[in-house]
Amino acid sequence: MIHTYSANLVHEHFMSGKLSAQEIVTSYFDRIKRYEPKVDAFLSLSFDRAVAKAKALDEKRAAKQPLGKLAGIPVAIKDNINVQGEISTCSSKILENYKAPFSATAVNLIEAEDAIIIGKTNCDEFAMGSSTEHSAYKRTKNPWNLACTPGGSSGGSAAAVAARFCPVSLGSDTGGSVRQPGALCGIAAFKPTYGRISRYGLVAYGSSLDQIGPFGTCVEDIALMMEVMGRHCPKDSTSVPKGPDEYMHSIKQPIKGMKIGVPWQFLQALRADAMKNFQEAMKTLESLGCQLVEVDLSLLKYSLPTYYILATAEASTNLARYDGIRYGLRSQQAKTLDEVYDFTREEGFGAEVKRRILLGTFVLSSGYKDAYYKQAQKVRALIIQQYEKAFSTCDIIATPVTPNPCFELGSIQDPLQMYLEDIYTIGLNLAGLPGMSVPSGFTQDNKPLGLQLIGPQLGDVLVTKAAYNFQQTAAFHNAIPDIKE
Amino acid sequence: MNTKIHHGDWEPIIGLEIHAELNTKSKLFSSDANRFGAEPNTNISEVSTAQPGSLPVLNKEAVKKAVQFGLSIGAHINLVSQFDRKSYFYPDNPRNFQITQYETPIIIGGSVVAVVDGQEKEFQITRAHIEDDSGMLKHFTNFAGVDYNRAGVPLIEIVSEPCMHTPKDASAYAMAIKAILEYIDASDCNMEEGSLRFDVNVSVRKKGETGFRNKIEIKNMNSFSNLELAISHEIFRQIKAYEENPNVDPKEVITQATHRWDPDKGETVLMRKKEYADDYRYFPEPDLLPLVLSQSYVDDIRKTLPELPLQKEKRYVESLGLAVHQAFFLASDKKLADYFEACLETCSNAKLLTNWLIVEFPGRLKEKNLSLYQTAILPEHVAELVNLIDKGDIHGKIAKCVADEMVAAPGTTASSIVAKNPDYQPLNDKSAIEPLVDTVLAENQDSVDSVLSGRDRAFAYLVGQVMKATKGTASPQVVNELLKEKIAKIAAK
Repeated sequence: MIHTYSANLVHEHFMSGKLSAQEIVTSYFDRIKRYEPKVDAFLSLSFDRAVAKAKALDEKRAAKQPLGKLAGIPVAIKDNINVQGEISTCSSKILENYKAPFSATAVNLIEAEDAIIIGKTNCDEFAMGSSTEHSAYKRTKNPWNLACTPGGSSGGSAAAVAARFCPVSLGSDTGGSVRQPGALCGIAAFKPTYGRISRYGLVAYGSSLDQIGPFGTCVEDIALMMEVMGRHCPKDSTSVPKGPDEYMHSIKQPIKGMKIGVPWQFLQALRADAMKNFQEAMKTLESLGCQLVEVDLSLLKYSLPTYYILATAEASTNLARYDGIRYGLRSQQAKTLDEVYDFTREEGFGAEVKRRILLGTFVLSSGYKDAYYKQAQKVRALIIQQYEKAFSTCDIIATPVTPNPCFELGSIQDPLQMYLEDIYTIGLNLAGLPGMSVPSGFTQDNKPLGLQLIGPQLGDVLVTKAAYNFQQTAAFHNAIPDIKE
Repeated sequence: MNTKIHHGDWEPIIGLEIHAELNTKSKLFSSDANRFGAEPNTNISEVSTAQPGSLPVLNKEAVKKAVQFGLSIGAHINLVSQFDRKSYFYPDNPRNFQITQYETPIIIGGSVVAVVDGQEKEFQITRAHIEDDSGMLKHFTNFAGVDYNRAGVPLIEIVSEPCMHTPKDASAYAMAIKAILEYIDASDCNMEEGSLRFDVNVSVRKKGETGFRNKIEIKNMNSFSNLELAISHEIFRQIKAYEENPNVDPKEVITQATHRWDPDKGETVLMRKKEYADDYRYFPEPDLLPLVLSQSYVDDIRKTLPELPLQKEKRYVESLGLAVHQAFFLASDKKLADYFEACLETCSNAKLLTNWLIVEFPGRLKEKNLSLYQTAILPEHVAELVNLIDKGDIHGKIAKCVADEMVAAPGTTASSIVAKNPDYQPLNDKSAIEPLVDTVLAENQDSVDSVLSGRDRAFAYLVGQVMKATKGTASPQVVNELLKEKIAKIAAK
């Protein structure tokens, strides 16, 4: 039964003495043992680490020592977030045996609050992708439909929570990589305001877009994780210089009178069942006393090309460090320095990563930089302005998370079609806005759908509050997938 | 002495890029120590080895030192500047991009004044920016290793206008920059350790020609004399090439390239041709916010700037009466200027002292390749020596002997050297000198006649003879007086 609990409830039962940390860990690992072969959410499991931490927590509790806000809660970590002493492959061959020498700030914060880290999850290589199929190691399956992908790039972390291998997990979101798999796996998933959670220890893809975000079965669990992780970090220069926000009380206040902006024009191409689901979600919000207003986000039609120029430009330099010199893979065939570079990167990177490095190198090249990189920066500024204008007439904005529900493994081969999966999520990264993906129902063939609630910068609590209120009325998050053994 | 080099109707154009490592406690973007000479790969961190997930955080001390430098050269301080990524692959470059300031550097403009051949000249600076240093490649017999201790050490790169025309201009400019960096304690400026490095761009053109011809960049000069030699060599090489190919397009005669100075061969050696401009794919560093400074921050730094070399030089000229070139020489070397001022605490003859500091002692220490302040000869020792001379207790030749002994046994005081050697005792007693004067006059009747017929040189000869007879211990003043008296008497006869 433990697996049906929220993170808040697991913590409550541990604190009250109803459950020991070791019971909690054993229970989740039993479930992992049973269903992980079907789901393939993890790249590595840290059983010994988790048991040692659980023992220590049980002893602390017995000795009546103070316990952290996350005491007893098992957490899975996306493989591009460093956990000291654990292998961080980023799902890439080039970092196959790379043991992280330091922990990400987010990991340090949750461990300091006594969370129990249980393993590292599969993702698209260096977080580049929308299906987790670009992992060099394995294909993660969607717990709702094992023929389908969980989405990506944080597909492992989303599938792990959906399969109840752990109540919460961490992912990273550069263009939708938390919100999209969250929606496709029927769980809550949050991308905070850019800079709200430190990027220190998150392996960089697109530095100006990357943001760590939590997954949970319910919005309260997201709120709990945000109270711990959402704070200033001196090791990340782009970290918001602001202490943690209070969530747990604030999000439970009613949202009556809240103005919800909807970019109806931008949603015209949405398929019928998804549109119907979105309209129902809007009715739910209206029933909670919210007022719908139309907002203009027409510039978002340029968000994909803008993103694929800026993200790849940054990525082409961020990934330059994987050169076979200091750590990670070094080609055995290489005899000269140039061959160390060429062969190592040829052998170590997958096709999608190579495609994005090439694209990013091209858009920064002399003679092309003005037409691509600089132009994209200008469009980014315009998109930010358009969001600001929209927020002058509403409190939050609502859109679907994805144009489609989860799709079959291997069904999307064209990279451009795959990029379109992020059409509703990518604009937030360009503007640094917070966005919650919250379950909004199912298609006829029982595939989860998600609602995206978007706030202005630093409107993290506001968005979480709206999502919590929505979830209390439209409680799709309670459904647990029935994984066929 | 005329040290000007003549280039006929050719005009050399020289510009300098100076890289100075800032002497901050920690590196530019991380907390690992900024220290030279440690065991390889001991001053490193996840940031300076570019571990996945590491992020840069700007060192405020480095920014402060850069602003101090900018204000010291009278530059404009950009209140908003920005860091950029400069991409190139090399093993000593851990991220395979350098973090530098390309589009908006922190320092724009400014100038320095240096003395060349006794003349003050002003040299303009284009810009200066903050960036991080690379590691160092070490080659062994069958492999190479990289030491990342230097990776991430803060640098400022100071780019001059192409405003210099002789090798001496370039070295004087570089000395002036070095002096400023030392005065504000921004850099150790140790050329042997590589904390001050020069890249120089050299081209030549016909006098009166507008526009520049192709330039050659020269790297790897780690002393002022090498800098001058390399430039000098390169100027003549280019002039010769143009003169030997009068009918060839100048662009073909000298093609843009990077050379390296080989001090053993005494020539510049081609490193690589620059057929295409390098494409470093600069773009703004997304891991760092723009560097925003407040006017009050800049003003506060301006208020606390120490006396700068040019101010010191002017003070030496105006209040101590030194010649401009002497004042520049002293002021250009912070440690020497400090030494000079320490001497002045117990010595009032600044002009005489200056001669000993910039001519006599450096001459004696040249072989050991040491500066006076690097020896155990203390400022009070030199001050005492000058005072002995000033009081007439010892005279020229003996003073030089005393100085020789001070250099031979550093730490010995001038007075103790004089006290121990009977030959160094001053002979000021007229009655003791008089018989020697008589003897010299008697033995040199010809010279006496010459003096009588108005030849001063003969008088100096006679002085010399008396000094010789006293082994240099007599006061030249007393000898002069006695000789004059006696010759006057002879004349009166």
